[in-house]
Amino acid sequence: MIDTEFLELTNIKKCVQCGKCSASCPAGRNSRLLTRKLIMQAKSGIDVLEKEELWYCTTCFLCFERCPKGVNTVDAIIELRNRAVMEGKFPEVHVAAIEGIYDTGSGLPLSPDGIRDRSMLGLDKEPLDIATDENNFKDFQKLIRALGLLEKVGVER
Amino acid sequence: MAKTKERYAFFPGCIAKNVYPSIEKSTRMVFEKLKIGIVDYPYSCCPAPGVLGSYDQDTWLTLGARNISLSEADELGIVVICNGCYGTLHRVYDILDKDDDKKAMVNAQLSKIGMEYKGTYRPIHFVDVMDNLQEDILKNKKQNLGLRVAIHYGCHYLRPKSDEATHNIEKPKVVEGLVELLGCESVEFKDKLSCCGAGGGVWSGAEGLGIDILEEKVQNIIDVGDVDCIINICPFCHMHIDSTQKKSQFKVDTVPTLHLNQLLGMAFGMKDKHLGLHTHRVSTRDVVKSVKKAGKDKKAKA
Repeated sequence: MIDTEFLELTNIKKCVQCGKCSASCPAGRNSRLLTRKLIMQAKSGIDVLEKEELWYCTTCFLCFERCPKGVNTVDAIIELRNRAVMEGKFPEVHVAAIEGIYDTGSGLPLSPDGIRDRSMLGLDKEPLDIATDENNFKDFQKLIRALGLLEKVGVER
Repeated sequence: MAKTKERYAFFPGCIAKNVYPSIEKSTRMVFEKLKIGIVDYPYSCCPAPGVLGSYDQDTWLTLGARNISLSEADELGIVVICNGCYGTLHRVYDILDKDDDKKAMVNAQLSKIGMEYKGTYRPIHFVDVMDNLQEDILKNKKQNLGLRVAIHYGCHYLRPKSDEATHNIEKPKVVEGLVELLGCESVEFKDKLSCCGAGGGVWSGAEGLGIDILEEKVQNIIDVGDVDCIINICPFCHMHIDSTQKKSQFKVDTVPTLHLNQLLGMAFGMKDKHLGLHTHRVSTRDVVKSVKKAGKDKKAKA
């Protein structure tokens, strides 16, 4: 799990286990996520890819900005998530969001409430976005397919 | 087109467009008032840093670069009104600025659809635009608002600190300065700079945790006493703060929240209905009443 690329990206070897990351962590205060421990385990080569707390980090970057040793804590967590996805170990719950982005171009698509509020406020009923322009949208979907994300998460399009 | 002081490619983001159009509307009205020119483009999702970034960094970088590149030929840089979009677009810009290999990867992908990312214009957060327009804000101000507000910075405007940021990220003053300009009092509260609990895929993937983090935040604000509303600079924080407080699992009293552009709009004398304050889940009625009262008191004094 730990290779040169990971060490270079994350600076994880510099960690001295001071715990400032966990002391700053709003998710850690409310869940089993212990960034300090996660970093220690990753550094020791322990496989953390299946740990559910890997997905509890809100990526607020408080730990990163406060780390006295310059460890890229959040980048480490994001990279571990990417590697978990490569191994097929990811929360199914996010797959719908990925499908949504592919199918609509939006992270959160327009809902009936959204259409109602837009017209009440005098905005265009449907906003200009990628899905408005058919050719643009086809290119966008082609790009996502070329990047291989859909296969990784088992979505067929 | 009317003469403008500055022009940007306007990146509203999915939530302001699709879920809280009140924020898109308020932004358009406030930008027009301040003569900030904006041009619309057919953008996709930024893409969401928490979900897309966590699943596949190359996809996140490439789709982000695609969005940035749309206005490059028109010599326009992007202005965002959302920390999530900023967290993607300014970070993608910073990463590609330093990493030629990644930039080459992104351009190899974009070339498949006949596009190219140059990285000419650094995406900018609207708070920085407003900070530079303080005199114009004062000129357009119709009344002091007289509200006691709790500022919620959210995360990605401040962190990770970008190469060009000049703020003290542990004690920022920029939004405080802006709300004080509008005649509001900004209160200090415990863990002011912490997250709302929505980011990193937690909003969609670990709802209970997102609620717990928000409860802690709102309780810290309530503990200060007599706070009229929470001021945010991000539709994603706005959505989480506003809609999650109305969920049955939320166990703390509620506090209304306004995007900074809605607060600016009220100070410019725009009608609360035009700013869409009535579309919020947590009622903003008391905020509107307080502002009207502050306006009348001022007239009475005059």
